[in-house]
Amino acid sequence: MKTNPNPNNNENPSDNDIKNLYSEHRFEHRIDHGLCLIWHELERGNTQADPIKEKMIEAIDTRVFDELTRSGLILEENNLLEFTETGKTIAADIVRRRRLAERLFEDVLEIPKGEVESRANEFEHLIDRHVEESICILLGHPRECPHGFAIPPGKCCADKEDQLESIVASLDHFEPGESGRVTYIITRNHPQLHKLMSLGIVPGTLIHVHQVYPSFVIKVEETQLALEQKVAENIYLRRL
Amino acid sequence: MKECHIADNPLPDNQSSIILAGNPNVGKSVIFQHLTGHYVTVSNYPGTTVDITTGTMEVGGKSYQVIDTPGTLSLIPRSEDERVTRDVIMSHIPWCIIQVGDCKNPRRTLDLTLQLLEMGHPLILVLNMGDEAQERGIIPNPKALSEILRIPVIPTVAVTGQGIPALKKLLVNPYVPCTSCFYSPDIEQAIKNISSLLPETLASKRRISVKLLSGDASVKSLFPDVFTQSLSLNIDQIVDALQEHYSRPLDLILMEERLEHVESLTNKTWTFPHHKTTTWNDTLSRWTLHPFWGMVTALMVLYLMYLFVGSFAAGTLVDFFENTLFGKYITPFVTYWVKHLVPGEFIQQLLVGEYGLFTMAITYALGLILPIVTAFFLFFGILEDSGYLPRLAVTMDRIFRKMGLNGKAVLPMVLGLGCDTMATLTTRILETKKERVITTILLTLAIPCSAQLGVILGMLGGISGWGTLIWLFILISSMILVGYLSSRILPGENSSFILEIPPFRMPQISNLLIKTLVRLEWYLKEAVPMFALATFLLFILHWFGILENIERLSEPLVSSLLGLPKETAEAFLIGFLRRDYGAAGLYNIAQKGLMTHKQILVSLVTITLFVPCVAQFLVNIKERGLKAALYISLFVLIFAFMAGGLLNLLLTWLPIPL
Ligand SMILES: Nc1nc2c(ncn2[C@@H]2O[C@H](COP(=O)(O)OP(=O)(O)O)[C@@H](O)[C@H]2O)c(=O)[nH]1
Ligand SMILES: [Zn+2]
Ligand SMILES: [Zn+2]
Ligand SMILES: [Zn+2]
Ligand SMILES: [Zn+2]
Ligand SMILES: [Zn+2]
Ligand SMILES: [Zn+2]
Repeated sequence: MKTNPNPNNNENPSDNDIKNLYSEHRFEHRIDHGLCLIWHELERGNTQADPIKEKMIEAIDTRVFDELTRSGLILEENNLLEFTETGKTIAADIVRRRRLAERLFEDVLEIPKGEVESRANEFEHLIDRHVEESICILLGHPRECPHGFAIPPGKCCADKEDQLESIVASLDHFEPGESGRVTYIITRNHPQLHKLMSLGIVPGTLIHVHQVYPSFVIKVEETQLALEQKVAENIYLRRL
Repeated sequence: MKECHIADNPLPDNQSSIILAGNPNVGKSVIFQHLTGHYVTVSNYPGTTVDITTGTMEVGGKSYQVIDTPGTLSLIPRSEDERVTRDVIMSHIPWCIIQVGDCKNPRRTLDLTLQLLEMGHPLILVLNMGDEAQERGIIPNPKALSEILRIPVIPTVAVTGQGIPALKKLLVNPYVPCTSCFYSPDIEQAIKNISSLLPETLASKRRISVKLLSGDASVKSLFPDVFTQSLSLNIDQIVDALQEHYSRPLDLILMEERLEHVESLTNKTWTFPHHKTTTWNDTLSRWTLHPFWGMVTALMVLYLMYLFVGSFAAGTLVDFFENTLFGKYITPFVTYWVKHLVPGEFIQQLLVGEYGLFTMAITYALGLILPIVTAFFLFFGILEDSGYLPRLAVTMDRIFRKMGLNGKAVLPMVLGLGCDTMATLTTRILETKKERVITTILLTLAIPCSAQLGVILGMLGGISGWGTLIWLFILISSMILVGYLSSRILPGENSSFILEIPPFRMPQISNLLIKTLVRLEWYLKEAVPMFALATFLLFILHWFGILENIERLSEPLVSSLLGLPKETAEAFLIGFLRRDYGAAGLYNIAQKGLMTHKQILVSLVTITLFVPCVAQFLVNIKERGLKAALYISLFVLIFAFMAGGLLNLLLTWLPIPL
């Protein structure tokens, strides 16, 4: 099975769709977007500096790249681009906020798919650390954005004790007798995702949790399924 | 539904096969029996029908071949048996495909229906399990569904035969359904574009196009001469162009759109109850899955199995068969007539002597093995048909995980207690190669089959309870140790544990009996020739005095390492042909009083862990390849002698009262 056909073509639509939006933003916002863009390229293994520079000029403006280099956030060596220590921390932070915002809009506020991009793009700058943590808790410490890219974990994600307050949580945080509706399934393990989907576990499906140990036993439609912990961690449900 | 090119084509009438397809555990095998009047192993464990079963049926005076495929959730395969189904469906042009679905689970059923529809072959949808659905207040509307999908839809209750005549009638005149196009316009366009590149002669172009869009390149290998390099390039271009519109892999997008369509279909054609009723079935189910009570149930089931197979069959029944029936009546009778009618000492000895074909092989096969194995298969059949095995899988999952497996390996492991050869064949239900290899190793090493168990338990009964405990401990710890190590050493992945748990069902007696008979027949065909061969070999070796030489040669191994009397070399030698027969040899030696308790224990541990029998070795070759099979056997052989030797040493030093 071809998981990621030709990564270069598999562009995040944000790269193009929000192109116009980007240019209207304040400069600090554009720095953020620049970091976001580089992060996104690097996580897909595109480390060549020149194409990234071109993309950034096209999507944001001509100054951002130089500004990032000047303030010591990125390094260019043998035409290979990488973050500096500080750059990486700051970038992880902004990427995390952006992707949390995407999740929030899609899972909880149920904003139409087409609008998620542009709204998240503005919202991300309004989130301070405290709000970020609250959102993360609310969403059950999601690990993937709606596009299937990893959300850098924050401090709150290390101890997942507080999932009781969340609206969305992964199946492994449900207790026997609780029910939830699937909001999304982590897409990284492809065969597993396929299997779950063909068993009827798709966004919108109602799941009753019967048992959580030694395996998770859930009821989907009229079928009982047993799942191991690792699989349960990949299914995010909205509490009912 | 978007624009729909109606194509109720008349069929070319040279197709003569009828394919049964469906999700696992929906009653396909029962329907198969109704259609063909033939028997096929029917069971309640998802994925039991691994091999393809075929039979014939008459439709309108013509004979058709009916093919039963392993249950599958989707036409994009994940395990070996799903691949089998895909290949059968993709490479045949059938007279008709019958999809059997569980009408309690419309979404899953319809998901497969949509995929099958894309094949462009005649399709009939059977909604089975009508009785169970009714009990739960789930009501499908076959008529509405039939109108929307434009295929015949028939409700059935396979176990009572309800709806089967209607199904048979429909088979006379199947027709090609219209293809429904439910994907987004750009995807539909890409499907059309790919289809137009494919040659006219290819069947199910739409299905192939969809698979290619999903990135399943394996269809290309099904039609190697069609997919030339330039065609593949053109197709890749279309696929890549479409992928650019989406941020996530296309196969997910396609699947999501299909499932959305399924959802809307379900809402239009199914009624669900407002209030759930809790049946006794649910309650019982909870108990058997409970972390504590589930374990208790598992132990109870094992104990029941011991009582029935180990105590009743291997004790009472065998005693009657071997000592009374054969010992008092049949053997003396046959011996008498052979001595009188057959000339020549050689042939007389060959038939009824100490190593005689009759006195040794036949008596052993029919007097000892038959009762034990019959009892085991009966018991296993009940476990299977009642739906208990998947629950046992849930209980055992965490333990199996330590050995690099998951709960699914319960089926081959438990079946291995009956016959390791048969069990090795069912390792196909496991999803990754690594799991199949580990299971094969463990089956070969540490799972004694029922025949062997019967003999061994009989001998252990003769020494103190410590003996049984030590034997059990060594077996289980070898299994966990070897499993753990192989899961570390062997490359490859583990699959994730996702298992369907069907409701408890009352096993049908007729089905149970037929199934047991089929397995017995299979077993005897495998075992009896081996007994005969082993006996003949022994006889020859004995007659020409070669046996003494072998005993002398193996002296260092048997006497020094294991500390056993030299006669046991003979038993180990037979063990190469059949482990259980080897155990029986030990039994005879022990009966003659030639072994101390310590020696009995050491010999039993060694023979239990000993090399696979010839049949299993052959199956290992078939399933795992010659090299792997040889390595496994060699490893197991060395391991068995090491374990035996170590135990011998320990027992010499430690004062354990045996
Ligand atoms: N209650 C009920 N049980 C059924 C029906 N059809 C099949 N079964 C049972 O369901 C189990 C699975 O059937 P099987 O034919 O092995 O399913 P397969 O895996 O699709 O071949 C068996 O125990 C059957 O006896 C039905 O219509 N009603
Ligand atoms: Zn895939
Ligand atoms: Zn802004
Ligand atoms: Zn922004
Ligand atoms: Zn995203
Ligand atoms: Zn968090
Ligand atoms: Zn066997």
